[in-house]
Amino acid sequence: MTPKPTHLLSQLDSGQRFTVVKIRSNGEIRRRLLDIGFIKGETGLVLREALLKDPIELKIKGTKVSLRRSEAKMIEVEIVH
Amino acid sequence: MLRIALAGNPNSGKTCIFNSLTGQRQHIGNYPGVTVEKKSGRIPYGDTIIEIVDLPGTYSLSAYSLEEIVSRDFVLHEKPDVIIDVMDSTNLERHLYLLLQFQELGVPVIGALNMSDEAREKGIEIDVEQLQRILGIPLVKTVGNRGIGSRELLETAMRLIHHEIPSGTRHLNYGPELEEAHYGIIQSLRRDPEFAQRYSLHWTAIKLLEKDGDAIRKIESEHAHPDDVLETATKIRSGIEKHFGEDSEIVVGEQRYGYIRGALKETLKHAPKENYLDITEKIDRLVLNRYLGIPIFLLVMFAIYQFTFALGNPASESISAFFNWSASQLQATMPTGPLLDFLTDGIIKGVGGVLVFLPLVVFLFLGLSFLEDTGYMARAAFVMDKFFHIFGLHGRSFIPFMVSTGCAVPGVMSARVLANPKDRIVTIMVAPFMMCGAKTPVIAMLAAAFFPQNAAVVFWSIWLLGWVSAFVTALIFRSAIFKGEQTPFVMELPPYRVPTLRGIFQHVWEKSWEYVKKAGTVILAASVIIWFALSFPRPKTAQNDEIDTQRIETEYTVSSADGAARTIENSIGGRLGHAIEPVLQWAGFDWKIGVSLVAGVAAKEVIISTLGILYGIEESPAGPSAPESDLMVGDYLKRDPHYSPLMGLALMIFVILYVPCIATLAMVRKELGSWKWPLFQAVYTLSLALFLAILVFQIGSLLGLGV
Repeated sequence: MTPKPTHLLSQLDSGQRFTVVKIRSNGEIRRRLLDIGFIKGETGLVLREALLKDPIELKIKGTKVSLRRSEAKMIEVEIVH
Repeated sequence: MLRIALAGNPNSGKTCIFNSLTGQRQHIGNYPGVTVEKKSGRIPYGDTIIEIVDLPGTYSLSAYSLEEIVSRDFVLHEKPDVIIDVMDSTNLERHLYLLLQFQELGVPVIGALNMSDEAREKGIEIDVEQLQRILGIPLVKTVGNRGIGSRELLETAMRLIHHEIPSGTRHLNYGPELEEAHYGIIQSLRRDPEFAQRYSLHWTAIKLLEKDGDAIRKIESEHAHPDDVLETATKIRSGIEKHFGEDSEIVVGEQRYGYIRGALKETLKHAPKENYLDITEKIDRLVLNRYLGIPIFLLVMFAIYQFTFALGNPASESISAFFNWSASQLQATMPTGPLLDFLTDGIIKGVGGVLVFLPLVVFLFLGLSFLEDTGYMARAAFVMDKFFHIFGLHGRSFIPFMVSTGCAVPGVMSARVLANPKDRIVTIMVAPFMMCGAKTPVIAMLAAAFFPQNAAVVFWSIWLLGWVSAFVTALIFRSAIFKGEQTPFVMELPPYRVPTLRGIFQHVWEKSWEYVKKAGTVILAASVIIWFALSFPRPKTAQNDEIDTQRIETEYTVSSADGAARTIENSIGGRLGHAIEPVLQWAGFDWKIGVSLVAGVAAKEVIISTLGILYGIEESPAGPSAPESDLMVGDYLKRDPHYSPLMGLALMIFVILYVPCIATLAMVRKELGSWKWPLFQAVYTLSLALFLAILVFQIGSLLGLGV
């Protein structure tokens, strides 16, 4: 079986669901993402983006979370259809 | 005495629980050596006293933020008898994550299932019995804002302390691989029995698995065999990483969440009620709308601003009138002389100067607490972040900026909405560039005097210069002084909640009292010093004049105005004005303006009244900044042959940018905990103001503009 294509969370549009594959970063930012719920297999939903498409708001682990697009770039996800 | 530490995520309702546990008996201080606020309260319980310490609200216990390190060090070093971790029952999966990390610290833990009423409404059913069995942690259902469950929390804590129920320090269940790795590290840590006494080995081992910087430092400096321990830890970590194909820090985090998910699978039933409306999402659809978000935010801020200044200004004026009245009462009853001057101009004006800001502080924090407690503040940061991020700031920096356009003192205080220290320092350093309520009459007077045709445009340009200077210096500071990785923006947008009146009033009371207590003393002292500098030494001739002729021949008012001008010119401040004239003249300013600028450090509106005194204008009965006397000062300035519109422009540029007033500097010192910040601020604002004023005056003179 070929692995599903992965995307960066920053490439998703509002309303798309995703499953977290991997955090491509380290240090504080990775820890913060991990703590707020970006762990492998977790599903979430992109809710909306601010005026200049940054930051973005999404839902993960039952809460709304906001991220800058630069931070969303560090999260590898699969799109859930 | 027994000690309970209260912990929880930022949006767990921890403050409500703390209030209902401690009632009015609260004490606010700082954790030793840091500016993280520490609240505690002592309550009698049976025949003992329980001290309850409120730990900072955090999502995790990593070593990346001051709050997190403070929390864990408090538990490690002070060893509280029990930790109560407050959780939002509507979102246990996220909140248990912190509970487990507290459990890892090796102190008995109780979980407060807060907002249990909200959970029930949402159709969430929790099998509390089963969950506490799985976690090995006693759980208590609470409703913080109604005080439900507080008693039971205390009772459970006492039973834990007296070993009537088993303490929840059961070791971790994060899967066999991690447990084995964990055990291996503990073995190597045990080789230093003294270290083993001081720290929970269990916790240290987990932190070493997580590559926690602070734990590694503790090993390096306090363990007898640091190299052995760290080497063992590295070896075990790479074993874990090979097995899971992931970084060990991630593995620990994922296992923790995995464990939580398992525990909740067995104990939590979520049957969403048919027509349960997610109000938060409904509001967010409007408030965070791409196009409406910013206008709505500006509207909200405008409302807060209006509320603060519409209610605060009249109150401030009454306070100021009261102090003027007190001064006039004294003047009527006491003989003239230095003592009277000291009491009226030094003490009464000093105390008045502190209390005049109080209504603004009160109303402003009423508004801001409301925004914070409803959950809107995080949304405000969301809509404004992009713009502020361009200048290296955080979306939340907007609040202190906006507030500073009213008054920089509460502006600096409101910078606490910024959790990150660097963001906070930079914001505090630049926010006082804004045109505040005290600079406004000065700029308005100068604009009207020198640019009668274009006063509004000139005024607006100076206002804009304040904002531009703030952003540009923020960018420079961010890229030069506070370099390095920007802290993550990652944040929760909490569900909207109706704030409790008590919570808001308490917050406002704390802020106001803090302002009066801490800033009050410094501002008062500074006012006295500035008064002294502008009054001493006394000119000999002025006194002689008074005695010899003027008392008899002319009206007292004229002589006092004249004498006052001479007193100032002869004083330390006046001499300073003369001394700095050689520098200031490059910007076209003479010694009179120099003295006024020095006096303006006490409070910017004093610039006008000092100039008034120097021109021999009697203060109007309504006070020094009444519009008529402002216009008179402007008139005199305009007619002075030494002054030109170009000098007026340079002066306005100087006034908007130069050294923040004493009250602001005192607040900066208070908020950032060291005099080096206000000093630095004073120096660079002065340099910038001088540079720009001279630049404009010199270029203008060269081109022959406005001379």
